Amino acid sequence: MSAIAISDLHFSYEETSILRQVNLEVFAGEFIGVIGPNGGGKTTLLKLLMGFLIPNQGTIYILGKPPEKARLAIGYVPQAHRFDKEFPITVFELVLMGALSQLSALRKTPVSLKETANALIKRLGLTAHKEKAFGTLSGGLAQRALLARALLADPPILLLDEPTANIDPPSAGLIFEILEEMKLKKTILLVTHDLKTAIERVDRVICVEGTASSFLPKQLCEHFALGLYHAPLLGLPTDHFEKNR
Amino acid sequence: MLLCWDCLLIILKKIGKTLARLMFFQALLDNPFLQMALWASLLASIASGVIGSFVVVKRIAFIGGSISHSILGGMGFCLWLQRVHGIEWVDPILGAFAASLISAWVMGWIHLHYKQREDSVIAVIWSTGMAIGVIFISLTPGTNVELMNFLFGNILWVSSRDLSLLAGLDLAILLLVAIYYRRLLALCFDEEQALLQGVPVKKLYLLLLSLVAFSIVLLTQVIGTILVITLLTLPSTMACLFTNRLSILMIISASLTACFCVFGLGASYELNWPPGATISLSAAISYLAALTLKRKKLNRRKPSPVILPH
Repeated sequence: MSAIAISDLHFSYEETSILRQVNLEVFAGEFIGVIGPNGGGKTTLLKLLMGFLIPNQGTIYILGKPPEKARLAIGYVPQAHRFDKEFPITVFELVLMGALSQLSALRKTPVSLKETANALIKRLGLTAHKEKAFGTLSGGLAQRALLARALLADPPILLLDEPTANIDPPSAGLIFEILEEMKLKKTILLVTHDLKTAIERVDRVICVEGTASSFLPKQLCEHFALGLYHAPLLGLPTDHFEKNR
Repeated sequence: MLLCWDCLLIILKKIGKTLARLMFFQALLDNPFLQMALWASLLASIASGVIGSFVVVKRIAFIGGSISHSILGGMGFCLWLQRVHGIEWVDPILGAFAASLISAWVMGWIHLHYKQREDSVIAVIWSTGMAIGVIFISLTPGTNVELMNFLFGNILWVSSRDLSLLAGLDLAILLLVAIYYRRLLALCFDEEQALLQGVPVKKLYLLLLSLVAFSIVLLTQVIGTILVITLLTLPSTMACLFTNRLSILMIISASLTACFCVFGLGASYELNWPPGATISLSAAISYLAALTLKRKKLNRRKPSPVILPH
């Protein structure tokens, strides 16, 4: 069974069409890089996969279920900069939020969950910051904390929205190291603008620009080599590039 | 260091002596109005401390302001029904509850479905509620003592019914927050994560706004519609300076509100000032003082050494 199956998906916001005729199949255990220009619909695609937006047409199945019913199977890493820096929440509380559905006011937080949270915090090098306010962390540390939160409930699907944008190389390196460890165990969709990383590490690249087209990293390398990388990905006429070459 | 400690002790002793001489504390023993007022402020502090914390961290102070002002519409309408049409059972407080709930739910619905125009809609509800109130007040003959009480607070005239309503609200708030604490924390911090984890975000947000609405109606008894936003936001904003946990924020905020209310009540009794405004002013001055002290402390901290890469 494919982890994600999208067929004939159309989505428009108010009168603007954002995604058209998207057909996509992602197999369990694949590591996919999602690239595309700003406004191309990358984040919209992620939101559709999580069931936050309803498509105008077409179907989405996550592990055979519609998105609204498969939310617990998804770990989501948003961009750290969009959170309120002054919100009173500690890193440990934030990480525990990753398994909110397992927590209840009527019983204590399970010890095993606390241990998993502590182990993830340690693995991501956040032990010294565990009791600090999330808003006081640097961009790299905050992004690592969000990754720990997404991994806490051990979901089979991981969606990451530009986790390495604007963060320091050591943090980005650590995030990729952990994603490599998850390879084959989880289905990973990584939205990124860093094409070099995408080509080096992922199994397949999906370019989202109005619609979604799938490439192998090797094909992207060939485009790079020809100086054509922008052309087919961004829907520009290829002959323009040919002439200037 | 020793000298500082001595000075502090002398100051504290002086304050103690002055307090003992103050009329407020003597009056508190034998004045039932003041005793009731004190109980009302203490009960109000729990509601405002807990709900105020949510209002501040979720950054919906503007929604609070809008609810508190739109109450006037419901109040005015009920008063008009009572006085002009002789329908006795429509108590103005019923109108206040209804207006606060309607405006809270409309704003909640707008937030959940049309985020882009949220601030404008809040402003529209704010002014529409006030406008309806003003029109009905002008249509209602006689002196509107109830309305004045609602506008400026009537802590010295708190009835035992108000006290039991406040106590009931406190109980409901504490119970709901105890049950839904983690879910409310997730809702306020990150709605998307809450949704992913199966939290019914829409229902929980409307529940939170309803609690805000009820708290505002009851807090207006203490401090009045115009100033209620002070009690709902200032203590929690001040408490944010001291903690990085929402649960502790609520406790600090409720304690601070209780301090401001008691201090404001005492000062208003001594100076013969209106209690609501005195409570507001003491909260605002304390917040500014805390902010200044925090800034000074931060400035005094030495910069950490810069480690250059090899």
